[in-house]
Amino acid sequence: MKISVNWLKEYITVNHTVEEMANKISLTGIESGPVKLGEELTDLVVGHITSIQPHPDSDHLKVCQVDVGESKDIQIVCGAPNAAVDQYVIVALHGAHLPGGVKIKRGKLRGQESNGMICGLDEVGVPAQYMPKEFENGIYVFDEPQEPGDAIYGLLGLKDQMIDIDITPNRADTLGMRGAAWEIGATYNEKPSFKKPELLADKIKDINDVTVDVAEKKLVPDYLLRELKDVKVGKSPLWMQRRLWNQNIRPVNSIVDAANYAMIEYGQPIQTYDLDKLQSLKLTVKFANDGDKLKLDDGEKSLNHNDLVIVAGDQVLGLAGVQTSIEAAVDENTKNVLVEAGVFDGTSVRKTAQRHDLRGDDSNRFEKGVDEGIVDEALMRAVQLMDQTSDAKEISNDIIGNFTKAQPTIIKGSISHINHLMGLELSTDEIVAILDRLGFDIDVDGDAITVTIPTRRWDMEIEADLVEEVNRIYGYANLPNTLPAGMETRGGYDPKRELANKLRDILLGEGLDEVINFSLLSKQEVEAFNTTNSEYTKLLHPMTEDHEYLRNSLIPGLVRNVAYNQARKNADLKIFEHARIFQRATGQNRPDEITYLSGAISGNVVADSWNMTAQPVDFYYVKGIVEELLSFTNTDAEFTFVATDEYKNMHPGQTAKVLANGQVIGLVGKLHPNYQADHSVSDTFVFELNVDMIFDLNAKNVKAQSAPKYPSISRDLAILVEKNIENGQIVADIFANGGKYLKDVNIFDVYEGKNIKPNHKSLGYHLEFQNPNDTLTDDEVEKAFSLVKDSLAQKFNVEIR
Amino acid sequence: MSLNDTLKNLRENGIDEAKRAERLQELNDLRVNLLGKKGPITKALRGMKDVPAEERPEIGTLANNVKNDIQAAIEEKMTELNQKMVAKKLADETIDVTLPATKQAQGTKHILNQTIEDIEQFFIGLGYEVASGYEVEEDHYNFERLNIPKDHPARDMQDTFYLSDELLMRTQTSAQEGRDMEAHDFSKGPLKMISPGVVYRRDDDDATHSHQFHQIEGLVVDKNISMADLKGTLDALCRHVFGADREIRFRPSYFPFTEPSVEVDVSCFNCGGEGCRICKYTGWIEVLGAGLTHPNVLTMSGIDPNEYSAMAFGLGPERFAMLKYGINDIRDFYLNDVRFLEQFKGVN
Ligand SMILES: [Zn+2]
Repeated sequence: MKISVNWLKEYITVNHTVEEMANKISLTGIESGPVKLGEELTDLVVGHITSIQPHPDSDHLKVCQVDVGESKDIQIVCGAPNAAVDQYVIVALHGAHLPGGVKIKRGKLRGQESNGMICGLDEVGVPAQYMPKEFENGIYVFDEPQEPGDAIYGLLGLKDQMIDIDITPNRADTLGMRGAAWEIGATYNEKPSFKKPELLADKIKDINDVTVDVAEKKLVPDYLLRELKDVKVGKSPLWMQRRLWNQNIRPVNSIVDAANYAMIEYGQPIQTYDLDKLQSLKLTVKFANDGDKLKLDDGEKSLNHNDLVIVAGDQVLGLAGVQTSIEAAVDENTKNVLVEAGVFDGTSVRKTAQRHDLRGDDSNRFEKGVDEGIVDEALMRAVQLMDQTSDAKEISNDIIGNFTKAQPTIIKGSISHINHLMGLELSTDEIVAILDRLGFDIDVDGDAITVTIPTRRWDMEIEADLVEEVNRIYGYANLPNTLPAGMETRGGYDPKRELANKLRDILLGEGLDEVINFSLLSKQEVEAFNTTNSEYTKLLHPMTEDHEYLRNSLIPGLVRNVAYNQARKNADLKIFEHARIFQRATGQNRPDEITYLSGAISGNVVADSWNMTAQPVDFYYVKGIVEELLSFTNTDAEFTFVATDEYKNMHPGQTAKVLANGQVIGLVGKLHPNYQADHSVSDTFVFELNVDMIFDLNAKNVKAQSAPKYPSISRDLAILVEKNIENGQIVADIFANGGKYLKDVNIFDVYEGKNIKPNHKSLGYHLEFQNPNDTLTDDEVEKAFSLVKDSLAQKFNVEIR
Repeated sequence: MSLNDTLKNLRENGIDEAKRAERLQELNDLRVNLLGKKGPITKALRGMKDVPAEERPEIGTLANNVKNDIQAAIEEKMTELNQKMVAKKLADETIDVTLPATKQAQGTKHILNQTIEDIEQFFIGLGYEVASGYEVEEDHYNFERLNIPKDHPARDMQDTFYLSDELLMRTQTSAQEGRDMEAHDFSKGPLKMISPGVVYRRDDDDATHSHQFHQIEGLVVDKNISMADLKGTLDALCRHVFGADREIRFRPSYFPFTEPSVEVDVSCFNCGGEGCRICKYTGWIEVLGAGLTHPNVLTMSGIDPNEYSAMAFGLGPERFAMLKYGINDIRDFYLNDVRFLEQFKGVN
């Protein structure tokens, strides 16, 4: 809401610049910004059209003589259809500046001299949608005679200065001028003063045409009506109109405008109805029947039984607190008026307004709350204004559908506790003075403080609210900077995060860039790598098909990253992600959140360059990274790699499960060529490791050993073996038979093809024997070596070469 | 020719030959030829018997000097040749050091994680534990326990991805507060924790919105926590992250789970407070929200608000990183273009 400084000055004395005020209000209460309307406007004056001649060369142009307060009238050519003699109008003189950088210059229009322009309201800065409808297609004409030559800015509010406050939902008390005056007054230690509305006693009559029944009393704590009889609806006075259009409210007529004006003053929405348009004089506030219709300017809304409505008989007058129907709208022919001030439940209003896409000024106020202590006063003020501008013959008393006397809130607190929570040591007097600025009643008894909060501050409930009020008005800038001074605590990560950090460092060291992907995936993506055989977990109301399911693997995200980069010519990629997947067993409600560390490598791992030959990624490169990771997990587990063809989007011949003590903890392998093609990525190898499972493995118990003192002896072994025998099997067998001094087995050659028996491969192994405590003899080694060879020959039918 | 003259001749010729040698081999040959047992000096000394006895010592001395002189000449030349060889080798081995290096790339930590870890390290230093909590959370912890009952308008501000009536993707890392307070044993001292992690909102992705983003929640519960503690802590944090010369200010705000609630601005690190495009000419940049934990929240976690008080704050790593590095589009964090990622090598 924009708080007009001129309007504010009716309640408090403030003489600061609007910038200074906005800044101070922001720091002590509510985020605010300065608004200065029409800064660019110059040379706009009242003109009086003294005569009009038709333009000799135009059908629609008129040649006007206009008194602009100078010794001679000036001639202005004007095209507005509504221009007429004796009108008081807005004249932009030669040299005038208008909004949007428009500058008015004297000149000739079809041969006729024109020394300025007669303007419409929108041409001088009033937004077209907020100016009176009658002037929409023409120049603005003052209702009353004005002094020609006078500046028009004040008359039309064109250069008003305002404080635009952007309230938090708890401070809707400032959505009215009076509430804003209290808040701004507290900031500047100025208590506002307000005039009580009064009605002319001789007009008050005991009128009972209308009866009202509030069916939902809990949702409608207050519902008051007044009748005005025999009014003369006209235009509201200019001072009221200009304040309304500067509030972004279009002036309509003297009744509707008064209702809106009272709303801006009090923050209490006021509705008006043409009494003679009601189908019944029996009003009810109740839930709508399904299918009831609300008639609007641009069609109708179909209501349901959750919508609170006001009806006259069967006629829907409005959605309570949201929107009135056009059926009983007050117009210039209205004679008898029904005025309504109610309080409607915020949640109900919010849901109805959302359901029908009708959120506006009224619903916004009810959603956040209104001052329930001034409902009758606000109604009286609206009626007072109506009577002043539309001259009612008779006015009813309040016609009460429901009325709940609002009670002030009493908050008890302690001076020392309030100080303690602020970290300050203010005296009782200082605290009392601040609370008094806010218009609260204070009672102090030693350390105890009892504060009576007027109904206009319905956000205030507990001592912590007092802490906020005292602290903000005292000034947060005056708070010292301290640190919590309690018992010492040990900070740090939990052990699982420590492990993950260590593993991430390894991958960074291996040259993998870290990525962060979305957790919400498409259906295709969760189906693609369901390596944990999880149930899919779907959002109830997803926004897009791309983000419908909780991810069950990090691989789809990594593949998306590879595709995105390769489409942008970043061909060589090494990336990893540390994040959670969501796994859910059948029948389980809440998915388990499991931390994974996964990576993807695509393209060359050594780039082609002037001194290096390109080396494309292969299975063994990625396996090497995984092994290095596992070697840093500090566990005593045995890690193995077992070929698998069970993952549909992995290459069936180049994928392995990673096992720790026989339990699957992840995978490493190449994406299936079809999957690669579908996702436009080049050959890509991926891995994933379940960090939670690694974390649960037993920690290694490292006992230091000296470096070996005795020399080792080595033997090389070349064998011919059937192609389907895996290296892992051979190595395991060598170790099984190599005796206790066999320390290491390394494969140094793998060959198949030319000069090798079909379906066979030739393997070369290097065996290293070492006795940590003595020098080994050739005999001992030879014996062990023979056992190795014999076993291989026997088990795998190998040919020793 | 007298023996004396012969020896002198040999010396002259020997030194001359050594000086003229161009290769080490020549010098080795010269040594063997001249100074060896079959060399001319040895041979010449055989004529000693014809020399009168009284002259023999003199001749002997001369012969030794001749040998030494030739030896010295050979060694001098050898040193010279060696030095030349080394110099040539070095010259031959000289390379163009401006040719590009053989690439030794380390990976780059994601800039969001760098930002988060920088903040984590700051708080770990102040004795805070880091606990990341659940991403799928119960309505109870995400809302109810934070003083946001059903139908509270604040639920509209955070449009939520629900999995069921009771389960949702957490909209705020504050959801961890209730769990941490329940789990903490206050007889062992205060609770000081930060909770970093991913949160989710039903937002359309654009330059400033993302349906997934990060938050870091901070919570301290103890007997004497005050607004001044909150201000001091966040002041130190902002100096750590945005530079030692920064200041912060509090502005009143509203969150259902804190009272008082404040927005925290940091003085603009770009213009130092003069006003510029980044701070929208205010000199200040809004960086986080904070407050004293609402007594209802403490009570719901079984903590007596008359005995204990608590401060809480929540900040957005995306916003911090965007401000600090001038990143204009939040989507960049999640597209993972490696050229984007790698520019942040080593910034934290
Ligand atoms: Zn700046």
